[in-house]
Amino acid sequence: MTRQQDPVVNSSFREAILVVAVWLIAMLWTITVCYRMGYNRPVEDLKFVYGFPDWVFWGVAVPWCACTVVSCFFSAFLFRDGHLGEDVEDADDLGLGG
Amino acid sequence: MQNFLLHSIEHLPNCWLLSAADLPLPRAGYGTTMMLVLFILGSVWIGVMANRATRSGGFMKGFFMGNRGLGAWALALTATVQSGGTFMGFPSLVYNHGWIVALWIGSYMIVPLTGFGIIGKRLAHLSRRTGAITVPDLFRTRFNSPAIGLTCTVFLLLYMSFLMFAQFKAGAIVLQVAWPDSSELAMTEDVVPVSNITYDFDLPGYTVRLTRYHVGLLLFSTVVVTYTLIGGFLGAVWTDLFQSLLMFVGVMILLYASLTAAGGLENATMTSLKHTGPGFVTGPGYSSSVGAPDFLPLSLAISFFVIWVWGGVGTPAGLVRLMASQDTAVIRKSIYLLSLYNMGIYLPLIVICICGRALIPDLEKTDEIIPRLALMTTSKWPAGSIVAGLILAAPFGAVMATVSSYLVVLSSAIVRDIYQRFINPKADRSHLRIAAWGTMVVAGVLSVAMNWNPVQFLQVFIIFSTSGAAATFLIPAIMACYWRRANAPGILVSMISGALTVLLLYTIGIQEWLPQIPIGAQTSFRPYYLLGFDPLLWGLLTSSILGILATMLTSPPDEDLVSRMFDVIE
Repeated sequence: MTRQQDPVVNSSFREAILVVAVWLIAMLWTITVCYRMGYNRPVEDLKFVYGFPDWVFWGVAVPWCACTVVSCFFSAFLFRDGHLGEDVEDADDLGLGG
Repeated sequence: MQNFLLHSIEHLPNCWLLSAADLPLPRAGYGTTMMLVLFILGSVWIGVMANRATRSGGFMKGFFMGNRGLGAWALALTATVQSGGTFMGFPSLVYNHGWIVALWIGSYMIVPLTGFGIIGKRLAHLSRRTGAITVPDLFRTRFNSPAIGLTCTVFLLLYMSFLMFAQFKAGAIVLQVAWPDSSELAMTEDVVPVSNITYDFDLPGYTVRLTRYHVGLLLFSTVVVTYTLIGGFLGAVWTDLFQSLLMFVGVMILLYASLTAAGGLENATMTSLKHTGPGFVTGPGYSSSVGAPDFLPLSLAISFFVIWVWGGVGTPAGLVRLMASQDTAVIRKSIYLLSLYNMGIYLPLIVICICGRALIPDLEKTDEIIPRLALMTTSKWPAGSIVAGLILAAPFGAVMATVSSYLVVLSSAIVRDIYQRFINPKADRSHLRIAAWGTMVVAGVLSVAMNWNPVQFLQVFIIFSTSGAAATFLIPAIMACYWRRANAPGILVSMISGALTVLLLYTIGIQEWLPQIPIGAQTSFRPYYLLGFDPLLWGLLTSSILGILATMLTSPPDEDLVSRMFDVIE
């Protein structure tokens, strides 16, 4: 007897992979930009964008906004709703319904 | 206790006038005390509402899981926000080290997505498949292994107790700060209670003399334990939501107030640069003392991008909230709600604290930056004291909410995983309720006893507990969710090896068995940063490698058990 894997498990796993990929991209962007633009830099040629030091603006504020947009997009279009199922009451022999 | 509080309020106007006229430093004043009293009353009211909402159905699922009925707002704003302590320490870091802290906290941009998107939906699913209401419960049933259940319970009790003890001390200090004429504003766990003012209480037969710290500790414990007893899990979550919203309002007001006072952000940066040094606007960050460790070298920047993201997924209090979510739509909505909330909280907080350094350049106790800034920028406003009180009440609320959620997790582990499993499996509703209340009261009394004369060694366990919890539970939780081949020995090895790795690196660092690598924040207890990376990274690495190895080397799990956890139920 072969039984089919629950669609909730499949969609969760797919989404998890996608989320981890977004996390990696965000980390790569943020750390690369901040490190290259912001570390050990002479203060004299520091520039400001909307009041932020330029490396904070491009390295943190911009990806932060991008991540917020991606999260909202993910929530609206990619995350798949599914049925979580009912509580199993006799999950083990103790019958801990409470 | 209540009489005592009223007594102090009666004398308020006097104290306020006196402090405003005679002393240069602004003081908390009656606005704070009033907001705090309102907050306490609000929490008890929320507890009563929560109690009403969970009366139907079984006691355990109602009291400890809110009948799996968490909505989107409650889940979004409470599942991943770490603790009151974290929120209070963060402003001080910005004040001390400058703009680099934006990179330190930067991974919060992705926390809403990772916190709910990696295991959220599947965990909620799995908790229904197993009928679990606690984390040990879930692991035990998922792998049909009492050994895992017990190991989990032991780790959980250990970590949660230490984390909770720390929060009680923070709570007591917070109340000491809120005293109408108090000039103490620091709010972290490191602060030594300094107030020497004592009060005599006449009890039948003898008189007790207590300091403000002790009065605060007793008052705080009584309030938190009481409303958690009444409201249970749902009460804890709702208070948490209430304080998160309050925090948002406070931050928005403070953002406006401090930007106006500092004359814009660029101006604030340039002014604070004059008071500090070039490190304030560049990496790896500014430190006031000569020869201080580099605050955030590249290896630690990477570490923190991992820590906040994965550590947030793996905390027991967070896992429980995911298990309690109502349906998948709730988890989906939580992602965008939290992503908007985080952007509105953390970026503004950084801006606020940069302005803080410009406006109040030489704070000795840097933890006081937010309260001081709130009092200073609102002092000319009409009803400024109330606004300052609102801003100050938010972190107070954070501590209360954290304690009550830890109390629930702790008590559920004892009642479900020890009392119901081993002592009285057939316990009825009233027995369970007495057991739950009993554990909470005992936990409260123990916390008061542990903090009566605060001892330093406790701090070591607290620091370790935060990383330890994530290193213990995260990889096993992911394996339990997605890996059909995962089995009991693998999970056990994964849990224990993760915990031991973190413990080992902290012990090496604190005992100074190996020469310290000069990086990281300056604290009294520093871990050993192997190759420059944080212990949690090594913990997660060991936990996954050894967990997978142990799984592959032992026999596969029972086919039928796996099918019950993964497949469509016909």
